[in-house]
Amino acid sequence: MSSRLAERQRALAKLIEILLNLRNQICGLGIPLFLAFENVGKEPISGVWSDIFTECGVIMQQQHIDAGEAWKMVTRKNRDSIPLEESDWQVLSDFGEMLGKSDRENQESVLDLEKENLEMLERRAAEAIKTKGRLYRNLGILSGAAVVILFL
Amino acid sequence: MGQQNNRIEGLDMLLSTYFPDRIRKAVKGIRSDYTKYLEEIRIRSGLPLMGVFSGCDYFISQEGVLLHSHESALNITAKEVNSLFLLLCEQSIYAYQDEIIRGFITLKGGHRAGICGTVVYEGNRIKAIKDISSINIRFSRQVEGCAQDIFQQLIRNRQDIYNTLILSPPGCGKTTILRDLCRLISQGLDNNRFKGLRTAVIDERSELAASFRGVPQNDLGPRTDVLDGCRKSQGIEIMLRGMAPQVIIVDELGAKEDADAIQMAWNAGVRIIATAHAFGLEDFKRRLGVGQLAAKDGFERIVLLGMENGKRWTRVISVNGDEHSGMAKDYWMSDGFFRMRSYGNENVIQACRETACAGKTHRNPT
Repeated sequence: MSSRLAERQRALAKLIEILLNLRNQICGLGIPLFLAFENVGKEPISGVWSDIFTECGVIMQQQHIDAGEAWKMVTRKNRDSIPLEESDWQVLSDFGEMLGKSDRENQESVLDLEKENLEMLERRAAEAIKTKGRLYRNLGILSGAAVVILFL
Repeated sequence: MGQQNNRIEGLDMLLSTYFPDRIRKAVKGIRSDYTKYLEEIRIRSGLPLMGVFSGCDYFISQEGVLLHSHESALNITAKEVNSLFLLLCEQSIYAYQDEIIRGFITLKGGHRAGICGTVVYEGNRIKAIKDISSINIRFSRQVEGCAQDIFQQLIRNRQDIYNTLILSPPGCGKTTILRDLCRLISQGLDNNRFKGLRTAVIDERSELAASFRGVPQNDLGPRTDVLDGCRKSQGIEIMLRGMAPQVIIVDELGAKEDADAIQMAWNAGVRIIATAHAFGLEDFKRRLGVGQLAAKDGFERIVLLGMENGKRWTRVISVNGDEHSGMAKDYWMSDGFFRMRSYGNENVIQACRETACAGKTHRNPT
């Protein structure tokens, strides 16, 4: 349980890194969204998010749908492979909705807003590690002690 | 025939990639013997779907029937126009914002989508075009071979060409001729008659190469480097510095800076092939800034293009007006010019279509 919380925080931190990369591809280089998603997916640093971004890019190109729709489709399908909680997915469900629909200047604001959302989720995840993580660890120790006492 | 097949393939690709369902079905329903004459598809919000076939407008019904009257034609919704616009931008408006500001998007295959809507200004600069109301898909056609005979007049020797200026009013095929000249200069001629030269294209309006994601969609020859979307004056300097070209090709000279950059290229021993809007050599010479380029020690060959009663004529002269032409002169016209017949009627008609202005340009070149 405790390691799951740590994985959740790592996944969110990774997504913030990906967002910075995406910002460079979109606002700096002006690469079309489907290609930017594919490029991000190919990066080794993308970790658990790699397949999701790659698949989003492929679906966008093949089915001619926008980033919001592709993101929803892919995350719905691959939700189990990412260690996030339901509340995280609710915040992330609109990710991509505004991507690609305006000029570079506006896309920067959109990505900044997404980054703020993710940082907020990451903070929550860090707090959860502190509180719930300690609780789970203590519970584990106590359970272990209880088992030892029973055997004695 | 090959070019026609390519065009139909291009149309299928465009339809499947970009078009909303109803429009796709309507265009697909057009009889194939009409499709080959299709030059433009015009999609306007709240108005009927229209096609331009060999310069003539027809409305298109839901089943693809061509109509003179708009009443039974397929009416396009604002949502369809917006959806088409997003698809043309590959769902990434920011990636095409510079092109959108210039009023068009270059598509795969070199086709072009013209855009109309509400212009948003920031100071004196166009910042964006919003609320897209009309889209005009123009099919690109490279007319390979259309400059073959002109090219013969521009060869100085096996490894060199004359500095050449192509002049004509709008819509007479300057860019088409320039594109084919570029291909020929870069490729060279068979039997070692002309050795291909390293050619640099400054494609300010993305019309020559029609680059899509950096890949030229038109054949400009094997020794050609393309600088896409760059101003001519800056582009010439960049190319001279970095690519060591033997020939530089630019479209539509006009500004004083263009003339300065061309002088710089000449000082570096590089040949220039350029076009400009003008009704004749004297008209060009009067132009402020660039007119001096047609003086002595400037351009050595002038190619004049024109169209009269829908027919194309071409003339190659020197800067002092001497005729430099081995072309057939058996079709002299009343104004003293002769029509160039040698590259074949079909090519002439195609080049004429390519300009998309064939029916509109009947200006007297004199």
